[in-house]
Amino acid sequence: MNRLVIEGLEAGYGAVSVLRGISIEVRQGELVALLGTNGNGKSTLLNAILGFVRPTAGRVVLEWDGQTIDLTGAPPHRIVDAGIALVPEGRRLAPNLTVEENLLLAGSGRRARRDARRNLGFCFETFPILKERRAQRAATMSGGQQQMLAIARALMTSPRIVLIDEPSLGLAPIAVTQVIATIRSLQATQNLTIVIAEQSVVQAIDISARAYVLAHGSILRTFARGDSAADLDDIRRAMLGVGESRRPTEAAQ
Amino acid sequence: MFLEILINAVATGLLLGSIYAALALGLAVTFGILHIPNIAHPVFVVLGAYLAVVANERGWDPILAALAGALPFYLLGALFYEFYARVFERRGEADTMQALTLFFGVSLVVETALVLKFGTNQQTVDVDYVGQSLRIGLLVMPYRLLVPALVAPVMILTLWAYLKFTYAGIAIRAAAHDVRALQVSGVDPHWIKRHAFGIASVTALVAGAILVIIGPVDPFSGRLQIGRAFAVVILAGMGAVPGTILAAFIIGVAESLVSAFLNPSWSPGVAFLILLATLALKPQGLFGASR
Ligand SMILES: Nc1ncnc2c1ncn2[C@@H]1O[C@H](COP(=O)(O)OP(=O)(O)O)[C@@H](O)[C@H]1O
Ligand SMILES: [Mg+2]
Repeated sequence: MNRLVIEGLEAGYGAVSVLRGISIEVRQGELVALLGTNGNGKSTLLNAILGFVRPTAGRVVLEWDGQTIDLTGAPPHRIVDAGIALVPEGRRLAPNLTVEENLLLAGSGRRARRDARRNLGFCFETFPILKERRAQRAATMSGGQQQMLAIARALMTSPRIVLIDEPSLGLAPIAVTQVIATIRSLQATQNLTIVIAEQSVVQAIDISARAYVLAHGSILRTFARGDSAADLDDIRRAMLGVGESRRPTEAAQ
Repeated sequence: MFLEILINAVATGLLLGSIYAALALGLAVTFGILHIPNIAHPVFVVLGAYLAVVANERGWDPILAALAGALPFYLLGALFYEFYARVFERRGEADTMQALTLFFGVSLVVETALVLKFGTNQQTVDVDYVGQSLRIGLLVMPYRLLVPALVAPVMILTLWAYLKFTYAGIAIRAAAHDVRALQVSGVDPHWIKRHAFGIASVTALVAGAILVIIGPVDPFSGRLQIGRAFAVVILAGMGAVPGTILAAFIIGVAESLVSAFLNPSWSPGVAFLILLATLALKPQGLFGASR
């Protein structure tokens, strides 16, 4: 089975530890939500998977096409090359490059290069606005368009798994709806494997098969679609840390 | 008489400008694009000039020698970046003062090595076209300026096309703004910066070959070029590679007019005056994006 396995992952910034033993699994074709209010470690987790934050314990392992690749502590470009793409918080586009150059750049990796033309065609088909503005500098686009570009850029790396960090952040409601709809349709039509980190429960849970609730750097609860427990209020309560008492192991830390 | 002086001063200025652009081109990459203030660039130019001199003693044309030496100089530049990165970037971004100190130190070491090997004597090359001139009406253009002045635009155009149309070129242009944009694109920023330094070093070699065709070179010739090279890059605007040629034309012509109509002693000050005026009036330069 093709999947990404995170086992007992711990990471932080200098002396401050943020992630406290995270274990999650993402299987091919799944759309998994990572829920949590601000500051609970969603971005740190995604950045630790990508190699931007160095794990201090635990493992990040990609099992794909019969290969088992241990990505723990590898540099980000290798992890992207292995097939994990990130749509980072704040998008992090190259502002001085054009839309097309941003896409081509992401298509230049060792594995992605041979499919660059086809991927570019697919991105332009999926996001016609990007095709229309291909020669425009990325910095001159609206927030929603930049978010589309950031997603398209991730697709250019021929990803096996796409991690999306708060795609709705700072966008107008209509742009949020559009971005979420795009993510949903990519997962449905392309059988893409997606992990989406969000604070806004409604949007994320609505489209995902499974949701992990992250609080203070630990997985507090896991919900699956169809769970009787998985009603939105329950998830909200879990996110805010009410209703469900924390596990003793966490209190001890 | 006045017209003849004017025409020739402008023509000489344009020729000089073209050469200044070649000298500044590597700095347009390392400083203009990567924002690393590589004041050691001119000493690489001088090193390139010495390579041309040594090759010329064995019968090589200086420009051909530069092309032949491109690979070793690429590796030298890459090694130089590796050294810089090992010293500083491991602990995050180098601060400007530390970087300048390192580059200054490297310049001194290279100069000293050249003095020890070749002495402080001025070195020249021997090529057929030096000493002859092209005459068109009132215009007199010495080949020792004309040939180098033609090499510069070719080099700039080549670099521009490389930066514009290749994956590595696009990555180099992205590198200064957001390293993370490179990383999430699956590109190793360290590799890209090292590659850019390698390329800058090759342009230094070609510029060195040009410099020694124009006139004699000694181990300290680079020092005269530092201020002007920075002036060209800043006047063009950070990251504006084709813009370096126009910026260099402006500085070349201004210097040439000053030396024709005022006093040649003032001409080295012209670049600094233009640099100051740019920083005060148009800090983003002629073609740089406002940041
Ligand atoms: N670069 C950083 N340096 C130090 N602390 C950080 C840094 N980034 C995040 N943190 C801290 O790590 C914790 C988790 O942050 P983050 O992963 O950004 O949470 P989320 O994405 O869920 O909002 C917060 O307490 C935050 O202050
Ligand atoms: Mg975050």
